[in-house]
Amino acid sequence: MTRPSPFTVRGRRALMIMKDEREIAIVRRQLDRLGMSVAETDPAQLQLPPDGFDVIVLDADAIPIKSDGAMSCKINVPIIALIGTETPSRLKWLLDLHPASFLVKPLRSAGLYTALVVAFDCAQRRIEEAAHLEKLEDRIRSRRIVVAAVLQLIRAHALSEEDAFTLIRQTAMRYRTTIEQLSAEIVAVGGMPNRSSRTA
Amino acid sequence: MTKPSVPLGLVFSRSGPYAMMAGEMEKSALMAVDEVNASAEFDFRFVPHLRDPGGVVAAYHNACDELIREAQVEHIVGCYTSASRKQVIPIVERTERLLWHPARYEGFESSDNVIYVGAAPNHTVVPLARHMIDQIADDVFCTGSNYVWTWETNRVLRDIVGSAGGRILAERLLELGETSVDHIVNEIIDRKPAAVFNTLVGESSYAFMRALHAASLRAGLSIPMLSCSLCEPELKLIGPAASVGCITSSAYFESIASAENRAFVARWKARHGTDSNPSVDGQSTYVCVMLLARAIRRAGATDVAAVRRAAANHRYDSPQGPVWVEPTNNHCFLTPRLARSVSGSQFRIFWEADAPERPDPYLSHLDLASFAKPDINTDTAAKRANHLRVVK
Repeated sequence: MTRPSPFTVRGRRALMIMKDEREIAIVRRQLDRLGMSVAETDPAQLQLPPDGFDVIVLDADAIPIKSDGAMSCKINVPIIALIGTETPSRLKWLLDLHPASFLVKPLRSAGLYTALVVAFDCAQRRIEEAAHLEKLEDRIRSRRIVVAAVLQLIRAHALSEEDAFTLIRQTAMRYRTTIEQLSAEIVAVGGMPNRSSRTA
Repeated sequence: MTKPSVPLGLVFSRSGPYAMMAGEMEKSALMAVDEVNASAEFDFRFVPHLRDPGGVVAAYHNACDELIREAQVEHIVGCYTSASRKQVIPIVERTERLLWHPARYEGFESSDNVIYVGAAPNHTVVPLARHMIDQIADDVFCTGSNYVWTWETNRVLRDIVGSAGGRILAERLLELGETSVDHIVNEIIDRKPAAVFNTLVGESSYAFMRALHAASLRAGLSIPMLSCSLCEPELKLIGPAASVGCITSSAYFESIASAENRAFVARWKARHGTDSNPSVDGQSTYVCVMLLARAIRRAGATDVAAVRRAAANHRYDSPQGPVWVEPTNNHCFLTPRLARSVSGSQFRIFWEADAPERPDPYLSHLDLASFAKPDINTDTAAKRANHLRVVK
């Protein structure tokens, strides 16, 4: 799979959840220059979850801290937070939204591209990390099966634990499958599956 | 001979949702301007240029832009809310002007182009929270207006109360201007908290205090209330019965007994009428103009760099006591005070800091551990153990 480059922003779709007209104009102008498509919604009239966007530019100051609506922005779309108030109460609220990057107000044309690149990179990393994590969790879940398969081979062939595991690993490599998958087959058939000519 | 003139921008929303406070502030600024202009101690005169953004946040930008471009002001005194100040900061920073900001605020800001004359959070919420924990209760019911001042004040309170082993029992917020308060009052009467911390502002606060007072009377309850913002003109608006007994933290009360303040109050009443009272924000606006005038005199110039340098550490014996600008963060040394509201729309001061306190806008020096109470259980256990030994 080719990793999408975070530096390529043309054609990506941004949603501005902002209030201040001057700030909206600055962000819109810059997104236009970058060739992104832009939609805009009033924070008070936010329809959630916002669908079909690659990035959300969110004015943190435009949404009250004690409101339920904001948390439904907690979706898989990366958020660029625009920060005016640096009080810990506001920053805590912001952290709960897991922003991918941020810009400090007052806004200028400089800075938005960096924020976008960091946001897209961050979003990509999150996807990759989630996939990696899922793989690791799968392996942890199947560890019991691997142990059972090793024990099976130790008992059936009087192998040492190390030799039993090496046998599973090498066989799995030869048949281009995973240790976990082969272990499941060993446990299911009560020994090395038949597709191996060298084992019983 | 007429003195050379210095244009001065005054930006206060005399119309709109907080017109009352902003009106008090503008009145105070003009009083200070007149005093400077009439005084032989200053060899210049201020020419005030008034702007009224009507409480519309976006209008502050244009008001200041106009003052800078057309009236050629280098210094602006104004803003009441943080939202409006944050509109003005980009312009004063870009054009190298100075905003003199009179109102207390929640902190976590420090612009080179703002002189913060109002109290920082270490001047207001911290001493009030300490008093509450030491003298009243560890558990507190919070109610406030749904905006940054309440969020941040309650956040600090939560940290402090938590360090003392107490709890925030509830945090009930109202939209700005909302006056339907019965559900909050009913909950308080039901739960009978040991203290109520009130960060409501304007009409919401007045309605709440009246309703809680009436409900408490009916229920035979007396629940202490604490505030970081109540001032004398508001006590008058709330009414003689419901306004009494609120423990309030502020750098200024009309009842400060110093010679400077007595003279200030006398001048105030001569100008605005005997039944008019100066307020903390009004007095602070007066201090803004005076600090600016004294810095211009000291610098012999009006340009921002020279004035900022001259203002640094230049002590002014103001109505609220000695005040000076701390140059590392452009906030002011002020004396925190605690008072109880009494009849006659006044406050009786029962505590004040020994000396003006260094401003700490980021609460970097707040030591939460200092609020921890000695472990009562351990003490009791120790006593019990002693007792057992004696018996044995």
